[in-house]
Amino acid sequence: MNANAPSSSSGGAGSPDVNAPRRNSKRPKYSRFTQQELPACKPILTPKWVISAFMLVTVVFIPIGLVSLFASRDVVEIVDRYDNACIPPGTKSQKVQHIQDARSNKTCVRSLTVTKRMKQPIYVYYQLDNYYQNHRRYVKSRSDQQLRNRGDENDTSSCDPENEANGMSIVPCGLIAWSLFNDTFSFSTRNNSQLNVNKREISWKSDRDEKFGSDVFPKNFQNGSLIGGGRLNESIPLSQQEDLIVWMRTAALPTFRKLYGKIEVDIEEGETINVVLENRYNTYSFSGKKKLVLSTTSWLGGKNNFIGIAYLSVGGLCFLLASTFTIIYLVKPRHLGDPTYLSWNRNPGGH
Amino acid sequence: MSNLHPQQRPDTFQNSSSQRSISSNSWRASVDFGSKGVRHGSRSGNDSEGFSMSRREINDDDARLVYVNDPLKTNEMFEFAGNSIRTGKYSVITFLPRNLFEQFHRVAYMYFLIIAVLNQLPQLAVFGRGASILPLASVLFVTAVKDAYEDWRRHKSDKIENNRMASVLVNDRFELKKWKDIQVGEVVKISADETIPCDIVLLSTSDPTGVAYVQTINLDGESNLKTRYAKQETLSRIPEKDIISGLIKCEKPNRNIYGFQANMEIDGKRVSLGPSNIILRGCVIKNTDWAVGVAVYAGRETKAMLNNSGAPSKRSRLETHMNQEIMLLSFFLVTLCVVVSACAGVWLRRHQDELDLMPFYRRKDYSEGKVENYNYYGLGMEIFFSFLMSVIVFQIMIPISLYISMELVRVGQAYFMIRDDRMFDASSNTRFQCRALNINEDLGQIKYVFSDKTGTLTENKMEFQFASIAGVDYSGEKTEVYVEQGGYNIQVDGQVWRPKVKVQVDPKLLQLSKTLNDTKSSKEIYDFFLALAACNTIVPIVVNSSNPNEKLIDYQGESPDEQALVYAAAAYGFMLIERTSGHIVIDIQGERQRFNVLGMHEFDSDRKRMSVILGYPDSTVKVFVKGADTSMFKIIDESLNLDVVRATEAHLHSYSSVGLRTLVVGMRALSVSEFDTWQTSYEIASTALMGRAGLLRKVAINLENNLTLLGASAIEDRLQKGVPEAIESLRKANMKVWVLTGDKQETAISIGYSSRLLTSKMSQIVINNNSKMSCKKSLEDALITCKKLIDVTSATDDDASSVALIIDGTSLVYILDTELEEQLFELASKCAVVLCCRVAPLQKAGIVALIKNRTDDMTLAIGDGANDVSMIQMADVGVGISGQEGRQAVMASDFAMGQFRFLVPLLLVHGHWNYQRMAYMILYNFYRNALFVLVLFWYVLYTGFTLTTAITEWSSVLYSIIYTAVPTIVIGILDKDLSRKSLMAYPQLYGSGQRKESYNLKLFWVTMVDTLWQSVVAFFIPVLAYWKSDIDSSSLGDLWTLAVVFMVNIHLAMDVIRWTWLSHASIWGSIIATCICVIIIDAIPVLPGYWAIFILGSSGLFWICLFGILVASMIPRFVVKMFMQHCKPCDIQIAREAEKFRNSMEVTRSGEIEMHR
Repeated sequence: MNANAPSSSSGGAGSPDVNAPRRNSKRPKYSRFTQQELPACKPILTPKWVISAFMLVTVVFIPIGLVSLFASRDVVEIVDRYDNACIPPGTKSQKVQHIQDARSNKTCVRSLTVTKRMKQPIYVYYQLDNYYQNHRRYVKSRSDQQLRNRGDENDTSSCDPENEANGMSIVPCGLIAWSLFNDTFSFSTRNNSQLNVNKREISWKSDRDEKFGSDVFPKNFQNGSLIGGGRLNESIPLSQQEDLIVWMRTAALPTFRKLYGKIEVDIEEGETINVVLENRYNTYSFSGKKKLVLSTTSWLGGKNNFIGIAYLSVGGLCFLLASTFTIIYLVKPRHLGDPTYLSWNRNPGGH
Repeated sequence: MSNLHPQQRPDTFQNSSSQRSISSNSWRASVDFGSKGVRHGSRSGNDSEGFSMSRREINDDDARLVYVNDPLKTNEMFEFAGNSIRTGKYSVITFLPRNLFEQFHRVAYMYFLIIAVLNQLPQLAVFGRGASILPLASVLFVTAVKDAYEDWRRHKSDKIENNRMASVLVNDRFELKKWKDIQVGEVVKISADETIPCDIVLLSTSDPTGVAYVQTINLDGESNLKTRYAKQETLSRIPEKDIISGLIKCEKPNRNIYGFQANMEIDGKRVSLGPSNIILRGCVIKNTDWAVGVAVYAGRETKAMLNNSGAPSKRSRLETHMNQEIMLLSFFLVTLCVVVSACAGVWLRRHQDELDLMPFYRRKDYSEGKVENYNYYGLGMEIFFSFLMSVIVFQIMIPISLYISMELVRVGQAYFMIRDDRMFDASSNTRFQCRALNINEDLGQIKYVFSDKTGTLTENKMEFQFASIAGVDYSGEKTEVYVEQGGYNIQVDGQVWRPKVKVQVDPKLLQLSKTLNDTKSSKEIYDFFLALAACNTIVPIVVNSSNPNEKLIDYQGESPDEQALVYAAAAYGFMLIERTSGHIVIDIQGERQRFNVLGMHEFDSDRKRMSVILGYPDSTVKVFVKGADTSMFKIIDESLNLDVVRATEAHLHSYSSVGLRTLVVGMRALSVSEFDTWQTSYEIASTALMGRAGLLRKVAINLENNLTLLGASAIEDRLQKGVPEAIESLRKANMKVWVLTGDKQETAISIGYSSRLLTSKMSQIVINNNSKMSCKKSLEDALITCKKLIDVTSATDDDASSVALIIDGTSLVYILDTELEEQLFELASKCAVVLCCRVAPLQKAGIVALIKNRTDDMTLAIGDGANDVSMIQMADVGVGISGQEGRQAVMASDFAMGQFRFLVPLLLVHGHWNYQRMAYMILYNFYRNALFVLVLFWYVLYTGFTLTTAITEWSSVLYSIIYTAVPTIVIGILDKDLSRKSLMAYPQLYGSGQRKESYNLKLFWVTMVDTLWQSVVAFFIPVLAYWKSDIDSSSLGDLWTLAVVFMVNIHLAMDVIRWTWLSHASIWGSIIATCICVIIIDAIPVLPGYWAIFILGSSGLFWICLFGILVASMIPRFVVKMFMQHCKPCDIQIAREAEKFRNSMEVTRSGEIEMHR
């Protein structure tokens, strides 16, 4: 029996008499399955295996951690919070009033210093803090049917409270589209040469191809009594409204960045970048923060030391564990399968 | 106190089989030996009274009136059920509503339903319609398909059954009619070997005395023939010519197959009918050419159909504990929901002023003319809705699907138990039977085993061994010679008739029995064997043998003791060859003699004896009595021959001390006047309408006195194969084995020795008292001795320290149900072995209850006879032996098997496995669901407490249906922590179940802490890694989905012990299935997460996160596991290592010796 099951060290008691007369017998049909004797591998983690496992984790994790840290270190990131700087000081309601006033001057100039050479492509993000794009009321307020098909224009039942205005369906409907981010940024260097921001292909190709229809045009958008954010050019199909597409891929966390565009030239260290921005988007009413982010990228994404540190700590911990277990095994060895450890041998008589 | 009635058990949680359990409970109640008020200690013959309900007069309102041979009139007023049966539950039309109705009896389904209904409210719609109904729908669908298939099969068999033919009297002629067309009141004729189509009252049979022999194997599994009688008033009539018309007034249909009460008005006479006058549907007529009867119950009202109920239902200990932990989980669930709703309230309150315009809240709806609040019902309602929504989102915290998984796992485990080759009994050709499907895991935690003796430890195949006749002991050497010659035989019509079973004989006695002369001893021997051959209820049946010139006489009867005695008498030349209700024919040394059977007092457990009144050919009348020694010596006239009595008593003692069963035979010649007195009172008693059994008993007691002692017989009941080894294994496994027997103390002790229950080293404490005071005193003394013995020998730790308690039924009368119980329990728990002898059935249950009510330990009762039923039902686990004594024990049991020794593989191997598997599966399911819920919960904290889930709703729903469901079931059925060989070799390994090592509150908390850690890792690694990035919620949701599914499967993989191809397939298959599902979900353009998984998969950070989560989450668990494994290894761990590294085991010789100790 063991010959057939090389990995099972003791398959079970000898096989019963299979050749017993079976005439009219209810004897269960013998098979390895029914007798629960399927060939099986029964791994046991011996000290060697345990230590090797920890060492393996160490060996794999520490290099990954280091590589990640280096990758994150190489990323150059400039973050500029502008929401407070770009509005006249005042109370919250004054700020809200200012931002809601269509005629007030919202242009604002910021200058950023590049501390380290930035290689192209430089990604331009806007970052919103304390903005719950994952709020239940918000994420549900959209109609994917309508975005995709021209025929489903009136499929706005899920878009409340932004489903129709003036008795007509809104395209694109829903709170998400309604609250489209509409601050704009333009960049120039010290010597006043314009830095072009490429705003094409900032969204997922799959979204442009499948999710947003190329024959669906904005209609009746931001025509209600309450303007939530950006307007859309009604002559451009949704599939090319990339800012909308980016915005509608709702962020997972309340602090998030959205891609605004790409600067496709290198910027040297020490350079100052002048940013002219239109501060239109209202985050003042709920004390959300707005930030402008210029960042290069690595294979790991943006600047984030967490993965590197996490991998290094896990790797280090496993090294410690490997050493601890080595010591334990050396100081207090136990022969595997040593019957003196059996409970009935350890404390004889006592049940 | 006497909660024999199963419905009084604390059924806190009616599970899936509640439907069946209700009906089975009432079935059990009917065999319940006596009603509720009966005390365990009372030793009156309640067992017999429980059956005979005949003492009550039938009330007219409760009666069913059957006009014999007048179905029209019978059915005119009352619509009695026709004879067509429908075991199928559903028809095509009723299937859907009825099946749904039945399914929703389960709590689990109600929970699913309530959650799904809540989710349909627009304010609470967390999931879409489809996603919220899918889990419930899938479970309902699977169950419905299963039910439909089963029902279809039942319909098919119903059809066959309904279309069978029977001959029915129509217009004074017997015509063939389909079974389904038979009506109550019709007269039915059944020929030999035909099955009875409905319950009929016998009118006449081919036998002139109106006897019919029936086999009830379909009804209760007993294969021996039973006798049924037609009434004197009807038996001579031939229905075709002599129209019988009468009125039968009988009970309403009930499920008691051993009771029937009715009376028949015929020709102006009122005749009472009892259980011996009715033949039930499903029985087969044997040995009788034809029988005619009137249908009284038909179709679904027949007793057989009323008893057609499923297995008994109990709740396993593990499940009871699990329900407590589920209460804890519900508490966690409520806590989570309260936290979420409270936080949501605080958040809303704090942002009170901002809500109107907040882009992601927008309380105001401007789309209509007037500005209103959109979907906002005030702070209080919002908090309340948050609470309900969080219940919906976190619903799988309560692992309701676990109940369904457990059922599936139990079915799988039962499959393996039934099919276990080593629990197949070849001699009786029976497989192991799993009658209760929900206590498999209890088998792994048994601490007390209560065993019957006869038929359980022994084979219950009686063999006549010795005889003591008139004070002379014939227990000399047995000879085979006579057997080889062919034994005793007679010539009938040129054919040789011989008994079917050959008995070894004592040559001296044989010689004496052959010489029939007038010497005193020869006469005594003659009377003795005549008594053995006549004083019984055995029916001789002549069967053909392989040799055409030879016929075998098969003695059929209900008592194996009687069979053995009749075979013995035949071997000594007193061959019973014919029995009718009126006479018997016995071939005495070649000379055929006919005796009239003038009357018979059947055995009852009160008198413990039976008697038969024989009319000799020379018209002398003698009464022969045979019975247990205690009851017989009371009625034997010792003055007649004191020496013989003393000698016989001595012989009896020596017989029973070698483990033989003894019976004493007595006789008395009746004078004419005595006979006349007896006959008149017998006739009055046997025709009495009320209290017939009691009257008959009184008549018997009046007759059975002043007997002459004829002798005593000793019958050996051999131990079953493997019993001593089995008992040793059980004791090694730290189980306490108690033997409860109705036998004599000496017999019990000797069986105790031969079965290695008792050893010579043990000290015995015997309690034999017959008053309460003396019981009290001996209990106190015993406790002191016991303490002393244990104190003295505790140092030397050996069998010597173990004490055996031997107690008899008389003492138990004074102990059970009194304050002495406590002392008995204290004493018994100190003793290694307890032997109870001379106990009544209810006392058996009382003893089980003694332990069950006072400890938390699991009890198992094993028995084979009707007298064990109460004990089997009382114990946590009841095991029936399908043996010689019929099927009642099996019917009441949870598990049934052929041999006692199968208890060892059942408990040590299957019980151990089942327990380990189920315990692990429960903990794992808690972990699996809690992990998912916690990951959802952490995310809720980052969404303004609004119960958004990043994980798509479809993944949430499929999580417990597809992503993680299969591996836990497969592992729950297939994983084995140790091989059968190790478990059998080291019974001590069973202790892990008794100590609840695999499932306890500590493990639950450890699991929950581990779950918390894993959820934190799974949630926060991605959050921190993607903080301040442009990750969208669908991508992060996919990452969490995959991470959680990989984690739970790898967690399981870490704990799998035996990797068969099935475990590999299920675990890795689930991971692959999950990936496929996630990909499919993300390939649907109208879902928000369209294409997310592909974008995600192409980024390095995703893979690094996933890998990091998997390793980091498992480290604490792995470390603790490895640390425990090395420093505090459990027995199972050691044994597993020993199994794997067996070669190294043999090097350490000393260790090996200890293992085998």
